[in-house]
Amino acid sequence: MEAYLLNLGVLIAIYAILAITLNFIMGYAGIFSLAHAVFFGIGAYVAAVVSMHVSASIFVTMPAAMLAAAVLSLALALPALRVRGEYFVAASLGLQMFAVTVFSEWKSFTGGLGGLVGIPAVKIFGQEVYRPASFFPIALAVLAAVVAITQILVRSSFGRSLTAIRDSESAAEGFGKNVPLIKTISVVISAALAATAGVLYAGYMSFINVESFTLDNSVLIMAMVIIGGTGTSWGPVVGAALLLLLPGLLSYLSFLPQADIGAIQQIIYGLGMAALMIFRPGGLVRRGSPQRKARPKAAPTRAKRGAVQ
Amino acid sequence: MLWLQLTITGLQTGALYALTAVGFSLIFGTTRVFHFAHGAAFVLAAYVFYWADQAGLGIAVGVILAALAAMAFGVAMDRIVYAPIQRHEGSFFTVFVASFGVGIAVQNIVGMVFGRSFVTINTPLSNSVELMSGVYVAPLTWIAIFCVAVFFGALQLFLRRTHTGVALRALADSPELIRVFGLDPRRISAAAFALGSLLVVPGAVITALGSGLNPALGSHVMLISLAATIVGGIGSINGVLVAGFVLGLAENLSQIFVQSQWSEAVTFAILFLVILLKPAGLFGRIQAR
Repeated sequence: MEAYLLNLGVLIAIYAILAITLNFIMGYAGIFSLAHAVFFGIGAYVAAVVSMHVSASIFVTMPAAMLAAAVLSLALALPALRVRGEYFVAASLGLQMFAVTVFSEWKSFTGGLGGLVGIPAVKIFGQEVYRPASFFPIALAVLAAVVAITQILVRSSFGRSLTAIRDSESAAEGFGKNVPLIKTISVVISAALAATAGVLYAGYMSFINVESFTLDNSVLIMAMVIIGGTGTSWGPVVGAALLLLLPGLLSYLSFLPQADIGAIQQIIYGLGMAALMIFRPGGLVRRGSPQRKARPKAAPTRAKRGAVQ
Repeated sequence: MLWLQLTITGLQTGALYALTAVGFSLIFGTTRVFHFAHGAAFVLAAYVFYWADQAGLGIAVGVILAALAAMAFGVAMDRIVYAPIQRHEGSFFTVFVASFGVGIAVQNIVGMVFGRSFVTINTPLSNSVELMSGVYVAPLTWIAIFCVAVFFGALQLFLRRTHTGVALRALADSPELIRVFGLDPRRISAAAFALGSLLVVPGAVITALGSGLNPALGSHVMLISLAATIVGGIGSINGVLVAGFVLGLAENLSQIFVQSQWSEAVTFAILFLVILLKPAGLFGRIQAR
């Protein structure tokens, strides 16, 4: 039971990092990316390959993975500078699908569909960290670092520039903000921090394959952000915990037919997502500051029917 | 003769893509609702057709039942899910997540009822005939291309000649003006969903007869529809037709140069490049702000 809870705790920490980093560009910069699992994957694959061939020390794998994700995130920054709304979503979707093919077909690096097996345990100061009891504190520490970094950024002048861009790009530009630069930096930071979740995941599971980095996972991360509350500090963490606890809770309902339990979980997850969007579109956690509350729901104007053109 | 074979296969794939995408393009172009569950309408229609065939009801009854199921699903989505979200000015992503959620639910419900494995309807139509030495074509290819001609022709006539069709095009241009003219945007929106969902039927039936069905087909259908819609230009019916064939041909002809596992990546690379270089699409008006 304790192992089960610790395992769940590690996974929640990993997904909370992903949700927080996605919220960083989605909630604050208004960049709705459906390719977040790609950077999770890049982090995991790079960490796995580095730890198998170079060194398993977290002080080697972590920077390598973050650097790779940061560089490759420019592929996502490019469309973010050119287009918005549906068009950017479609571009990120194209990137996600392309990356899935690369993950599953670039056999010499990613191991193909079979994935990479036997990834060594994460090392800290030469000490191997065995899972999951001792791994949980490390996951928490990385999560805390990610929370701290994003919170500092969001509260700094950089964060205010981001929200200004989200609310009105032309107004931000009018105030002399370098909009393309700020957007690019935010995408790069988000991707690099998302890669840390990949490093943890690869070190923890000791096995990775493309299944964990698909579109479904990108949507799951996005659902965590939206269900928790876009643009809030703690919403993404709440969303991640909730969506990961849900399957476990459902398996306690013994009256459900056991053969179909997976399908039923998925149906409840899907319909729950729809119902929540209908009845509580702002997410479970409300935005903090009072002037935010007075405003209508998160950036509605952009996607209002027929308002594009 | 490889390239000729790939061209013919590409034309069949393209015809299927165009038929699949046109419904989504119509719904998205007119109502601006990102109807991700469109793939679910496709899966529902295909499985209702399959069920009717297994029950021995015949092709005609199967097609009618499939059409009814798809239309009922589309209109219900508009009424039950999208209308309430739009009432409180839900953002684009709120609609997307709700729609995606319903898609997951439908996929699993279909999986529970019909099983998760591949099913297909056996028909002589999908048996390939040797056209010339080394080039094989199934009769289904001609049926697919014929369906494209009929359905796109009929749709263009409908959008230009009928009252509802003109109203649909007006909704795409300006929902505010629709009200000024005394029309109800909600009813026109329902018409868009009914018509757009109806248009999945030919593609769904051809897929059921040809390459076969599984419950997870919906998301692939949806991704292709989205790619064709954007590459063609949002709101352009001719655009989606051309883009469907472009993607189908590119996916197949690319196999001359790369392994076939990469062919899907070709589609999404094209999508990505079109958005970067010409966001309005091949036939679209400038809409990306």
